[in-house]
Amino acid sequence: MLSEVNIALSQISPKIGDKKRNLNHMKKQIKQAKENGANLIVFPELALTGYTLRDTVYESAEPIPGPSTNLLTEVAKKENIHMIFGMVEKSQKANAVLYNTAVLLSPKGLVGKYQKMHLPTHSVFEEKRYFRLGYELPVFETNVGKLGIIICYDVFFPETVRLLRLKGAQLIICISASPAVRSKFFEALIVARAIENTVFLAYVNLVGIEDGLQFWGGSRLIAPNGSVISQAKYDDEDLVIGKINYGDLKRIETFVPTLRDLRPELFGFLKKQAENL
Amino acid sequence: MELKDSVLKLDSSSVEAKIKRFVKDYVEKCGTKGVVLTVSGGVDSCTTAALAALSLGGKKVLGLMLPEEETFNATDINHARLVAKKFSFTLKTIDISQTLKACLSSIPIYDKNDKISKGNLKARIRMVYLYYYANRLGRIVCGSSDKSETMMGYFTKWGDAAADIAPLMDLYKTQVRQLATHIGLPPEIAKKPSTPALWPGQLAEKELGVKYETLDLILYGLEHFMTTEEICGQLDVPTQLVNDIKTRWLIMEHKRRPPLTTKLGYRTIGADFRLPYTTY
Repeated sequence: MLSEVNIALSQISPKIGDKKRNLNHMKKQIKQAKENGANLIVFPELALTGYTLRDTVYESAEPIPGPSTNLLTEVAKKENIHMIFGMVEKSQKANAVLYNTAVLLSPKGLVGKYQKMHLPTHSVFEEKRYFRLGYELPVFETNVGKLGIIICYDVFFPETVRLLRLKGAQLIICISASPAVRSKFFEALIVARAIENTVFLAYVNLVGIEDGLQFWGGSRLIAPNGSVISQAKYDDEDLVIGKINYGDLKRIETFVPTLRDLRPELFGFLKKQAENL
Repeated sequence: MELKDSVLKLDSSSVEAKIKRFVKDYVEKCGTKGVVLTVSGGVDSCTTAALAALSLGGKKVLGLMLPEEETFNATDINHARLVAKKFSFTLKTIDISQTLKACLSSIPIYDKNDKISKGNLKARIRMVYLYYYANRLGRIVCGSSDKSETMMGYFTKWGDAAADIAPLMDLYKTQVRQLATHIGLPPEIAKKPSTPALWPGQLAEKELGVKYETLDLILYGLEHFMTTEEICGQLDVPTQLVNDIKTRWLIMEHKRRPPLTTKLGYRTIGADFRLPYTTY
C-alpha cells in the first residue's frame, strides 16, 4: 500500500440523464488527473447522471457491474488509477429497486460499492421515493489506502464515519450533491468528522444548476487535524489534487486520542435511546 | 426563532451572483437568444431586467414597456428608461390601449364596472405581447414575481406571473428592495410603493392591508412553520391579520400550480408525474 497518495477531486457538472456525455467528460478528467500524478480520482454523488433525475431515474439505472462500470474499469486499467464515482444502481434481482451508489474501481477492476444508508427525503430532496436504503458500511483495503465511503447526507450521522474508522478506514471519501443553501452545514461537518475520528476525509461535491438547485462545489481534502489540504472552487467545475501521507495519522492520533478514549458502553445507550425517540 | 428585520437581511452579493448564474445557465441550456421581460418601472421588474442584463449582457435582454391610457404613469416610464440606459438593454414601448379596447368590445359580457376582470385582462394582454416577442425572437420570457406577492396570490393568473423563469420568486419584497439598492438602482425605484397598475390609484400595500415590512415577517414565519400564535407573540399585530394572511396564502395555491385534474391514469401531470427540467 502506498504511504503517500495523490487524490484528485473532480468537481463536475453532469448533464442530466446524459450518461454518454458525462462519461466522456469523466474520461477527460481522469486523463488530466493522471497526467498530474493522481493515484485516486473522486467524482461527486450521481456524477454519471446528475442528481435531479426524478422519474427518469429508472432509465438511468444500471446494474453493477454494467455498461458504465465496465467502460470506466477499462479507463482505470488504461490510466492505472483508482476512482470513485456516484451512479444509480439497479438491483440484479428486481427491476425497480434502485440504490444511490458509490463505485470503487482500481486498475485491477471493480473493487466494490457503497449503497447510501441515509436517504434525505425532506425539503427539496426526495430520495426515499426512488432509492432503497443501503445496509452496509464496507472498508476497502486498496493500494491507495483503507477507504471508507459515505454519500452526502450520511455525513450528518457521525456514527457512519465512526464505524468506518473503527473498521480500519484511514481515508473517508464523502461524495455529495449539496445545494448552496446547505454549504455551511457541510463545511462544518466534514471538518468535524475528520477531527473526531482522526482520519483523512475527501469531500467531492457536484457543481452546476439542476432544477433551480445550485450545487456549490467547494470540494476539499481535509487532514485529520481539520486543516484543508486542497480545495476546489465554489460554483464552478474544477479539478484539484492534494497529497496525503498516512504516516501523519500516528502523530494526530497521539495529539487527539479520541479512538483511545472511546467509551463503548455509550453505544449501547445510544441504540436504546434511538429506538425510542 | 426571532421574527425581526434581520432575518430578512440578504447577503446581497451572494444572492446577486446566484441569480445571475441561474439566468445565464438556463438561457444557455435552452439554447435561446436571450430573454424578453416587461419593465413597468416598478422595483421588481427593474431589478429583474437589470440582473438579466448583468447576467447575459444587455444585447440579450429586451424590455417591453406596455402602458395603457387608464394607468399611464410618466414617472414609471422615466424610471424604466433610466434602468434600461444604466444597464444597457433595449427597451421598446408599446401602448396596449387599442388592443385592450378591441378585446373588451368583443366580449359580450363585458361590464365596465367590473374593474378586477378588466384589470386582469390588461395583465393577460401584456403576457400575450411578451410571448409573441419571445416566439418571434427565439427568446424566453423572464418574469419578475417576488415571493411576497406569489405567496399572497397577489398577481393575475396567467398574466403577470406567466413566465419561463422567475429569478426573484424566492425573495420577499423587502429583500428585492435590498437587492435593487445593492445593484445600483436609485432609491426612487428601489423604495417606490408597489402597484400592479391594473386600475388608477391601485397600491399593493393598501389592497393587501399591511406594510410589506410586516407582511414579509409574517410570511417568513409561515414559511418556517410558525403558528399564528407564535407569530403574533413576536410581532405587534392583531391575530386577525395573521389569520387572514395565512388563509389567503393557503387558498391561493390554485394560482401557483398547474391546473388541477383528477387522477385517472398511471402517472398524472401535476401529481405524480415527476420529471426534471431537461433542455436538450
